[in-house]
Amino acid sequence: MMISAIVFGSIAVAAALGVVLMRNPLFSAFSLVVNLLSVAAVYASLDAHFLAVSQVVVYAGAIMVLVLFVLMLLNLKNESEAPRGWLKMTVASCGALLLFTSILPVVLPAVEMLYRDSVGGEGYLVEGSVLAIGRLLYSEYVPQFELSSLVLLVGVVGAVMLTRKQSSDPSPREGGLLGGGRS
Amino acid sequence: MSVYGLCIALSMALFLIGAVGVCVRRNAIVVFMCIELMLNAVNIAFVAFSRLHGGLDGQVAVFFVMVIAAAESAVGLAIILSVFRSFISVETSDVSELKW
Repeated sequence: MMISAIVFGSIAVAAALGVVLMRNPLFSAFSLVVNLLSVAAVYASLDAHFLAVSQVVVYAGAIMVLVLFVLMLLNLKNESEAPRGWLKMTVASCGALLLFTSILPVVLPAVEMLYRDSVGGEGYLVEGSVLAIGRLLYSEYVPQFELSSLVLLVGVVGAVMLTRKQSSDPSPREGGLLGGGRS
Repeated sequence: MSVYGLCIALSMALFLIGAVGVCVRRNAIVVFMCIELMLNAVNIAFVAFSRLHGGLDGQVAVFFVMVIAAAESAVGLAIILSVFRSFISVETSDVSELKW
């Protein structure tokens, strides 16, 4: 459990750095796929099996296919040749590092204390199986579950509305900006 | 350090890397992917604390975060597509119509 969490956690951090640092958006997308798969492995090492599987199916499967599809559709060949902005990069990463090193010493002892208090250093043996998650989802969280189906429906309708081509527009610029109100 | 502390540290690291990416990158699709990274970081913290407390409610919350992320990716990519149709670019610095 500990070994796999360390291995896949470091792979996840390396892949996340790849997402930010890669120049080509396509390489960042593939790096993000590696990151999502290793996060799924971290879930599996925490005994959250249902979440590990749905992470692979939903994130690494569906969402990343959508992102790669749009990336291929837009065909961004001649972009990001502008200078990187080293000042911004340095300031942002120094700020993030400062935040990390200042929050972690506060949070970690609290987590360790919670861990020691749980079952004498044993930890609870809860398995996030499909049965247990489904039982909770269909009993206690039924309203949220129904609302999430509504959210997905609104998302689908909104995506279709936004990407629909407006015909009979004199200029594409105006049509793109005002088309939503006119249709 | 227990595996839970490790997961919290991992979650913080991934969240901060995602936040730096949102601040630094100019390509809207890469910014979008960094937002996905931050959502995943929060999910790791949810799973670790759920395991630590011995309940499954945190894992159900992660499930709902995944649902919202799927809807968000559909709408977000549609917005990026229509921005590209209007501006012929997805660089966030080019989309500055409202900038005074």
